[in-house]
Amino acid sequence: MRRCNRWLAGLLLTFSTLLSAAPQTVVVMTSYPEEVMTRIEDGFAQAHPQYRLQILWRQGFDALPYLLQARQGGVDVYWAPSPGNFARLAKAGSWQPLGVNPKGLPAQIGGLALRDPQHLYQATELAGYGFAINATALGQLGVPSPRDWPDLLDPRLRGRIALPDPGRVGFAPVLLDIVLRAYGWERGWAIWSELAGQARLVTRGGTLVSDEVTSGRAAVGLSIDFFVASAKANGEPVDFVYPAHGGLNPAFIAITAHSQALAGARAFAQFVLSETGQGLLADADIRKLPVRPSVYQHLPANYHDPFVAAGLGAYDYGNGSSRERLALVSSLFTQWLGMPHEALSALWARLHAAEAAGLDVSAIRQHLTAPPLDAEQAEAKPLLALFAARQDNGMTQAPASDQDELGRREITWQFNAARHRAEASRLLDGLGQ
Amino acid sequence: MTALRAAGLSIGLLTSLLASADTTHTATHREAFAQPFAGLDEGQLERFFRGRSLFRQAWVVAPSRDEAVDGLGPLYNRVSCIACHPKNGRGQAPAQGQPMRSMLLRLSLPGHDAQGGPKPHPVYGDQLNELGVPGVPGEGRAHVYWQEHAVQLGDGETVMLRKPKVELRELAYGPMDAVLTSARVGPPVFGLGLLEAIDESTLRAMASEAKPDGVTGHVNAVWSVERQRAEAGRFGLKANQPDLRQQIAHAMLGDLGITSTLAPEQNCTPAQQTCAHAAQGGDPELNALQLGDLHFYLAHLAAPARRQQTEPAVMQGEKLFSAIGCTACHRPALVTGKHPLYPALTQQHIAPYTDLLLHDMGPGLADGREDYLANGRQWRTAALWGLGLSERITPSSGYLHDGRARTLEEAIVWHGGEAETARQRYVALGAQARQAIRAFLQSL
Repeated sequence: MRRCNRWLAGLLLTFSTLLSAAPQTVVVMTSYPEEVMTRIEDGFAQAHPQYRLQILWRQGFDALPYLLQARQGGVDVYWAPSPGNFARLAKAGSWQPLGVNPKGLPAQIGGLALRDPQHLYQATELAGYGFAINATALGQLGVPSPRDWPDLLDPRLRGRIALPDPGRVGFAPVLLDIVLRAYGWERGWAIWSELAGQARLVTRGGTLVSDEVTSGRAAVGLSIDFFVASAKANGEPVDFVYPAHGGLNPAFIAITAHSQALAGARAFAQFVLSETGQGLLADADIRKLPVRPSVYQHLPANYHDPFVAAGLGAYDYGNGSSRERLALVSSLFTQWLGMPHEALSALWARLHAAEAAGLDVSAIRQHLTAPPLDAEQAEAKPLLALFAARQDNGMTQAPASDQDELGRREITWQFNAARHRAEASRLLDGLGQ
Repeated sequence: MTALRAAGLSIGLLTSLLASADTTHTATHREAFAQPFAGLDEGQLERFFRGRSLFRQAWVVAPSRDEAVDGLGPLYNRVSCIACHPKNGRGQAPAQGQPMRSMLLRLSLPGHDAQGGPKPHPVYGDQLNELGVPGVPGEGRAHVYWQEHAVQLGDGETVMLRKPKVELRELAYGPMDAVLTSARVGPPVFGLGLLEAIDESTLRAMASEAKPDGVTGHVNAVWSVERQRAEAGRFGLKANQPDLRQQIAHAMLGDLGITSTLAPEQNCTPAQQTCAHAAQGGDPELNALQLGDLHFYLAHLAAPARRQQTEPAVMQGEKLFSAIGCTACHRPALVTGKHPLYPALTQQHIAPYTDLLLHDMGPGLADGREDYLANGRQWRTAALWGLGLSERITPSSGYLHDGRARTLEEAIVWHGGEAETARQRYVALGAQARQAIRAFLQSL
């Protein structure tokens, strides 16, 4: 009996030690805002009280060099809407197999792969690109709600479009790429030049575009859906239009090769992808698009279902564009359209006035819409490698400098664009505009 | 005034009519606590949005490529300001046995520091920082357990009140003996510029007024780091900060471990060696421009305008609120003086429902923590503007300094000390009259 008591006492001690033991820490690197992480943290703590998350917050450009360092800085899980980083880190051997059951998680949506072939990383949520609109402001301008990108070129929208500056707003380069892929390099850039020429550049993304639109300062804002959907769910007067040629940005999750908390890391990934975790994405302060289709049946009726939209051809844009390509198109925008934005905007205003007066402006259009780089040059591997190297150093853009090869190229684009603007101005002068 | 009363206009309604439309906002949606004053020009709006970005910014562990926002910790509670002030409103007390999220724990020993402020714990400092950057252990964990008791109202109805009991676990730097703890949830952050613009002479005049029911009210005298002198305190739950800039700097250091010109030393005690040797994100980490932008943002967050003022229940509740003595401290009408930086805040008629003074709130709410002239039973009168939108904007948040009150009625019943007489009058009211007072509070 005494032996039995001792055994029982030992068992009780072990049990109470287990109960009072500190949870094991799982280090998660992310760029999600507070609203997302708090809800996920709470949900995960409830489902898996034996683990505790330590959140290391880094933006995508800053996370890449951190995860490339020795032993990956102690990070167990990387979870972020920065798809380029996942591909780059996969090449560097930074991941180990995710080890999460993919049942109920499609591998593809439209042209977008939702996991890599080795299943090292898996999409956890999607964000759609499109237009935040203020219906009242559009009505006052007499402009119908835009359905696709060319609709934004209506001159009545001059000064009333908020365009996040791709050089400064993380999600904006994909906006550029969606149009370039949908309409081709030449036509796509022509749209961007004219659109930039009548838009106001917004230097920060996120809720600032929604602010511009809800306040009526802008009638249309180019945005990711969740900023707008969240503002709408919180009661603000704003709507979101998914254009006919849309695009999705996936957030992925992966477990680092050097993870010291593999079981906890897997439990976290599994939780984020579970029905419960995916359901949290619909919170009014989050409003992301789940990647588990079964979750949509529990969401409000007007919740955008990208799987249904993809079936109708809305998401042919895939994630074939590398991070180097996105950096290139972003830089091209900055050198050609962003930095001289005031001058560009004035030229487009004059052109539209000439057009309204019935004058032939086709040659001038050519000067304002021809990109300083053609499609073939944009695919050149040496050029893309220069952008990749810049990103590995944790930089998205750098001031153009003749001290480095990439800077010299960018200065050339600036010069080329300036020449075309001068010629366009001269031709407009000739038309008396 | 008599004519106005005859016309059925209450003091509050009059105040609302006088209040400048530029400093209030009529939005009632879930972003209503995040609206700027009307009439800001484009440059001011840009500054407001820069400040907002910083308020929502997740700060990053140094070193980082994101140099403008690195320097989190080495010891900290949360990574952003908005974490403890969700939607710019109240933080939330945790559920039974759950860890703190938008709540923090102040620490002190009996006595005062050199400036007359609370005496910090020699090892753990002034606040329990639960988290540390990689390589620096967080100080420990506080878990909250709730103890409930029933209070019977005059008509026999029962209200359940709960009080937090904090349990410290996983202490990483040794035992924490004889420490005083005070749990706090983040307060709302709108309308602060207007409170900053109230003249010190107005505070002193209110303090020296004779008041009924044993109500007194004191101005706290606190240390201004910027001006190196004692001044009237007005921010913080015990009015322990003289102005908004110092309140921001103190919170940035205490909650996020971000240094600034007003709080230039990292939050490491001599016993915390790994903390002292951790990388810094600049000197200081929050630069002067950023501190200025945060100040501008918080100073220009509009207070929500009143609603449903002409509904009979609200009007009745407003009269009762005054009649039972609540307005002795929750002042419905104040006029701001001259703000040293921002003209939009000057000479504004406002309805914050506070006097910014310290009052003894009785043993039930006492935390035992002395803070300059505030004793362990005193708290600064909480502003009540925006109260009625709280349930919509942050439905899980409670009321009072530690979020213990789950309803407005619980909050009222917790009042004691100088508010004891008013509390007794409330408790003695019938259900309909109590409901009318709550309807009035919901209209704020």
